[in-house]
Amino acid sequence: MIRDSQLFQPFNDEPISLIGETGAWEGPFDLDLDPAALRGMYHDLVVGRLMDERLSRLQRQGKVSFVAPSAGHEGAQVGLAHALERGRDWLFPYYRDTSLLLAFGLPQVEMLAQAMATRADPNRGRQMPSHNGSKDLNIFTIASPIASHVAPAVGAAISMKVQGTGQVAVASFGEGATSEGDFHAALNFAGAQGAPVVFFCENNRYAISVDYNHQTGADSIAAKAHAYGMPGYTVDGMDVLASYYVMREVIERVRNGLGPVLVETLVYRFGPHSSADDDSRYRPREEVEAWKRRDPLLRFRRFLEKQGLWDDAAEAHLRAEVEASLQAATAEAEAAGPIPVEWMFDDVFAQRLPHLEEQRHDLLD
Amino acid sequence: MTVQTMVQTIARTLDQEMARDERVVVLGQDVGKRGGVFLATEKLFDTYGPDRVIDSPLSEAAIIGAALGMAVHGLRPVAEIQFSDYVFPGFDQLVSQVAKLRYRSGGQFEAPLVVRMPAGGGVKGGHHHSQSPEAHFVHTAGLKVVYPSTPSDTRGLLRTAIRDDDPVVFMEPKRLYRAVKEDVPDDPEFALPYAQAAVRREGDDVVLISYGASMAETLKAGDALAEQGVSAHVLDLRSLMPWDTTAVLEAVARIGRVVLVSEAPRTGGFVSEIAATIAEEALDQLLAPPVRVTGFDTPYPYAQDREYLPGPNRILKAVKRVLEY
Repeated sequence: MIRDSQLFQPFNDEPISLIGETGAWEGPFDLDLDPAALRGMYHDLVVGRLMDERLSRLQRQGKVSFVAPSAGHEGAQVGLAHALERGRDWLFPYYRDTSLLLAFGLPQVEMLAQAMATRADPNRGRQMPSHNGSKDLNIFTIASPIASHVAPAVGAAISMKVQGTGQVAVASFGEGATSEGDFHAALNFAGAQGAPVVFFCENNRYAISVDYNHQTGADSIAAKAHAYGMPGYTVDGMDVLASYYVMREVIERVRNGLGPVLVETLVYRFGPHSSADDDSRYRPREEVEAWKRRDPLLRFRRFLEKQGLWDDAAEAHLRAEVEASLQAATAEAEAAGPIPVEWMFDDVFAQRLPHLEEQRHDLLD
Repeated sequence: MTVQTMVQTIARTLDQEMARDERVVVLGQDVGKRGGVFLATEKLFDTYGPDRVIDSPLSEAAIIGAALGMAVHGLRPVAEIQFSDYVFPGFDQLVSQVAKLRYRSGGQFEAPLVVRMPAGGGVKGGHHHSQSPEAHFVHTAGLKVVYPSTPSDTRGLLRTAIRDDDPVVFMEPKRLYRAVKEDVPDDPEFALPYAQAAVRREGDDVVLISYGASMAETLKAGDALAEQGVSAHVLDLRSLMPWDTTAVLEAVARIGRVVLVSEAPRTGGFVSEIAATIAEEALDQLLAPPVRVTGFDTPYPYAQDREYLPGPNRILKAVKRVLEY
C-alpha cells in the first residue's frame, strides 16, 4: 500500500523515476494501480502517439496546414491526465499537449476537426492546428503567445479558492515559457494567494532551436519555485508512472488548500518544433536517437510485460483498435465539411455589432 | 439622486453591483485597504473582504490575466489598472487572451470582465501618467471601449460594462475625477447603453465631437462660441467601441461643418476614424473638410502639460477654419 506520508520530496537533485529503462518497477513503495488502470494508461500513450503520427501524415497530404508534434511528451502528459479529475479540474494547456488533451477526454474527432478546420471543430475553425479547447471538459482554448495562459490559470484558481469548489487548475507549458515575464507574474500571484494551481513544465530542452543552456542559467526549472514560495519537483517525464504518482500527490496537496506547486517533467521532443521546422540544423541525430531509446511507450510496455499484463498480441490488437478509431474520427471530421465564410464575423462579441454586420454584408453581397 | 464626483460614483457603482451580484469581484494594486490610489474602490474592502476585493501584486499582466481566468471560471471581475500608462505589461493579456477568447474558442468561452483605467493628461504627470491609449484598444477586435465624461454617465456605463458578457476597457478621465459634482441617479438599475452619444449643447453652425477627458475643453469652447454668436452642436460619444455613427452622421448632414477633439496623439487616433467615416458616408453634405484638434505626435510632455492638450483656443481656431472655408 501507498504510504500516508509524503512520498516525494521537492527540490530533488535527481529526477523522480519509478520505472527503470528495462521496465522494472523501482519505486520505493508498492504499486496501487489495478491492471485495468495500467492498461488504460498504455492505451492513452498509444492514442497520443498514433494521433501525432496521423496529424503529421495529414499535414504532408495537405489536409492540415501545420502540426506541433508531441511525440516524446506522452509519458508526462498521460500521467498528469490520469491524476486529474475529468470534468471537475481545469486544464490551461499549450500547443504540444496532444496526449494530455485526449487522455483528459477531448474527443478524437474534435482534435482532428480543429486541425482540418471543419464544422466539427467546436472552436469553429478560428485558429491554426494544435490549438484545441473545450468548455464542456474545462479545457481553456489554447493560444499561441507563449506563457500567456498561465496567469488566466491563476485567476481561475483564485476563483476556485474563493468559491471553495475544491477544484484544481493546471497550466502546462514548455521550458521556453519560463523566460516570459507573464510566467513570473503568474507564479508570483499564485504564491501570494495560495491559489490551487499546478504549473506543469514539459522541459524538452529546446524552444525551437534555443537549447536549455541558452534559455536559463538555472540548474533546473523546478528551482524557480523557491522564489515564489512553492515547492518544485523534477520528474522523469519519460516515465508515465513517475508523472502519475508525483502529480497525484501534488494535486491532492493543492486540492487540500496547501498552495501552488511547480512540476518540471524532463521530456524530449522526438520530432521538429513544428511541421515548418528543420531540427537537423540544431540537434545532433545521435542525441535524438539516444532519447528515442528512452521512449515512454517502450518503457511502459516493457513494464507491463514484466508485470505479465501485456504481450505482442495485445499490442497488435490495441494498435489496430486505435487506428480504426482514429480512421473513423478522421472520416467524421472531414465529412463535416469546411467552415463557412460567414462564420468569420461571429463570436467577436456576444452579439454581432452594427459595424461587423456591415462588414459581413460588404463581403458576402 | 445624490450629488457626487466621478470618482465617488465609481466606488458607489461598484458597491451597488457587488451587493447585487456576488460574482462581481474587484482586483488591482492598492484596491483593498487603501481603496485605490484615487479612492475609486473606497470602503469596498471593509464591506466585502479580501475574497472579493483582491489586492494584487504589482503586475498588470497578472491582474488582467487573472481577471480573465476568474471570468472564465464564473466570476465577473473588475480590474483596476492604476494609470492607463501602466496597462502595457498587461497589453498582451488584453490583446492576445482577453479580446480573442470568445472568438478563438468558437463562442464556447466568454470573458465578462471590465478593466478600469484612469487616462488623460492635465495633471502634471508627464508621459507616464497622462496618456490616452484608447486607439490601441479600439483597434483590437473583441474589446469594447467606453470613455465617459460625467459622473452620471460613469454610473450608467460602468453598470452596463459590469453586466456585459464581453470584455470592456473602461477609461476614466482622471482630471475630471473631482472636477465636477452632479446629481447621480441612485437607482441600482440605472444603466446606459453603448453607442449613444449625448448632446451636450444644441446648435446649428458647427458640430463639435469629443469624448472623455477632452469634453471639458470642448464644452468651454462651445460656451466661448456662444458668446461670439456661433451656435455649436456638441456631441459626447461616451463609448468608442461601439460608437454612435448615427448621431455623428445626422449632425454632420444637418450642419455640414465638424471639428473633432481628442487629446490623444493625432496620427492613427480615434477621431481620425470618425473623420474617415464622415468622408465615406457624408462627403456631399460637408461644407468644409472635417478638422481634428488633438494632442501632438510627441510623447506626452511634462513642462508643456497644458499646451499639449487641445484647449478651447485651439478648438476655436479650428472652428474658425471650418466656418470660413
